[in-house]
Amino acid sequence: MAYLAQLGAQVDELIASLCGANLDEESVQKQQAAHRESVLRSLRHHTFLRVNQFDVQDQLNGFEERFRVIGREALANALNARLEALEVHQTKWTPDILRFLLELSDQPAQKAKLSD
Amino acid sequence: MPAADDRSEKQAAAQQAVDILHEISTILNCHLDRRTLSICISMIENGVNPEALASVVKELRREGQEAQLETVAAASAGNATLGTSTGAGRKR
Repeated sequence: MAYLAQLGAQVDELIASLCGANLDEESVQKQQAAHRESVLRSLRHHTFLRVNQFDVQDQLNGFEERFRVIGREALANALNARLEALEVHQTKWTPDILRFLLELSDQPAQKAKLSD
Repeated sequence: MPAADDRSEKQAAAQQAVDILHEISTILNCHLDRRTLSICISMIENGVNPEALASVVKELRREGQEAQLETVAAASAGNATLGTSTGAGRKR
């Protein structure tokens, strides 16, 4: 029960953060009420496999190589430096978090800007 | 006091890890702000599957954009009605 309550609170925060930009308090609450159940269902009953850390590492190496191939050395170096820095803070969840970021990545070779 | 020191050290390390992950998310062009990323990290640390979470984030973004479009459309429709009624008032 405690787990569900905690997850519910986090889902509310996530909905407010993603759907609540430029909306007033009442609209945010409406959004939370509308999406809470479906989000909780999607998070609890899914068909995804457990994360393969070697696959994650391969994908990140692939991105780094691709950046170098298309001449974006600075971006490749920045990614490499951040991954090395992250090694100090490795936890058992690090591959899962990186997998999440890889899922959300949006054509970084073309669109990513170091100035951001 | 050592316990407090230990806690603040752990907090600083966690902050640093979130900073690095935020930089990686920027390099990968994930369109995530720091607050959203922190929430997602704590959800993953609570055992949520990262791929399920990513699909939820994509879905919520889409819904959020639709809600914003509806708000803008409602506001512009309201302005149009106001403009028409003002115009009608002037005619009279």
